Amino acid sequence: MKNALAAEWLKLRTVRAPYGLIAAIGVMIAFGATISWLMVRDYDTSSAAEQMKFGSADASVVITPVVQFCVAALGALVATSDPRLGALTAVPDRKRLLAAKSALVATTAVVIGAVALTLSIGTSWLIMGDRPPPVAPWDSLGDVLPWAGAAVLSILVTGLTGLGLGLALRSTAVTIVVVGVLLWGLPAVTPMLPSPWNMDASGVMVPYLVWEVAGVVNDPPLGPLAAVACLFIYVVVTLGAGTVTLLRRDA
Amino acid sequence: MIEVRNLTKRYGDTTAVDGLSFTVQPGLVTGFLGPNGAGKSTTMRMVLGLDRPTGGEALVNGKRYQDLDHPLRHVGSLLDPAAVHHGRRALDHLRWIAASNGIDRKRATELLEQVGLGGVRHKRIKALSLGMKQRLGVAAALLGDPEVLMFDEPVNGLDPEGVRWIRDLMRGLAKEGRTVFVSSHLMSEMALTADHVVIVARGQLVKETPMEALTQNGSLEDAYLELTSGRGL
Repeated sequence: MKNALAAEWLKLRTVRAPYGLIAAIGVMIAFGATISWLMVRDYDTSSAAEQMKFGSADASVVITPVVQFCVAALGALVATSDPRLGALTAVPDRKRLLAAKSALVATTAVVIGAVALTLSIGTSWLIMGDRPPPVAPWDSLGDVLPWAGAAVLSILVTGLTGLGLGLALRSTAVTIVVVGVLLWGLPAVTPMLPSPWNMDASGVMVPYLVWEVAGVVNDPPLGPLAAVACLFIYVVVTLGAGTVTLLRRDA
Repeated sequence: MIEVRNLTKRYGDTTAVDGLSFTVQPGLVTGFLGPNGAGKSTTMRMVLGLDRPTGGEALVNGKRYQDLDHPLRHVGSLLDPAAVHHGRRALDHLRWIAASNGIDRKRATELLEQVGLGGVRHKRIKALSLGMKQRLGVAAALLGDPEVLMFDEPVNGLDPEGVRWIRDLMRGLAKEGRTVFVSSHLMSEMALTADHVVIVARGQLVKETPMEALTQNGSLEDAYLELTSGRGL
């Protein structure tokens, strides 16, 4: 397992795509910080009545979906970018190969998610200063931990989902399209369903599950534990499909 | 040693390999010959655990490839030199393969020098010529200093210098007592390289014999065509 993991890590860091994805996250963090700064500047020059209508200037809310997508793409790359012939000749024990890929994606996803959330929340915190709600959504850094934890958990889930879909679909392009549909396409459509299906369906979409896990929405379709279980189901279904494909199909 | 016992592979109604049995002995270059679609590549893929046999088994030194501990230390293979990530540098390509089997990373640098790619080790694989990619594939096959080597059409696309290099390499490896199993369409090349031949057609064994026995009354090409005539696709 140690050798397989070392090989997967070496494979990941010796191609360009992961650096492109990390750069994209970095650009989005900088962009989010800029938006936060512009909002706060606008807030400072607004009247008290207008200030009460401001939304949160926390950039991590808009950064998280981008990080989810990039990490899912990273998972897809780990599954699909190297031809199977080489990977399976080097590590013919397919369960060991799967375990190494899963461990790599999970670790990378948590590290990227934690760093991205820390940077994004940290810059937002500095920019918002001691301004009151609603522009600054938190009273203390402790208030932000449930949201940050839920966001990192969702990033872990999307990374493993990308890996599972990549192994099942065996195509980077198709996997990234399916990930886009799961993260952005379906959540945009489910609110248009008739009531109460709209709330039920939206409640199991990844972007909404993050809020439910954090426990920061009023009257959610799912409580935090049920939301965590739902995220877990995403991993079980996609990684399960990937496992079956890897173990049963010819290379 | 490679032992193929009653190996069968079916894809739906199509039988690619049909009850194939033969043995590849150490100390010899064994040529694997047959028309297009005869099942040569499928057989090699099953030996390497890439494709699952429908029936029978393929063993390397008495074990299935996927059951070998550190398989690259036992078997080196070159099936498709294009089956690599073309955006990775040549040295990094060998390093990850070495890491996967606990092989000292210094072997990667040594082998690149040995196959004549020392000067391009930091180039991305997409920048290498076909011949260079073949050499890189050979270097990957030799990383674990294996006793068994398998090459599928190793001289495809090579210039005369490259063809001779591969031939001398395979002869040298067999001389060291290793098992060398090589498939090719090029009869003249096989006649110069192989000591023993396994001829297949339509997934079935046609002949397994020493090269001398096959060529005592004419060329390998004549013998091959006589044995396989009417057995192609």
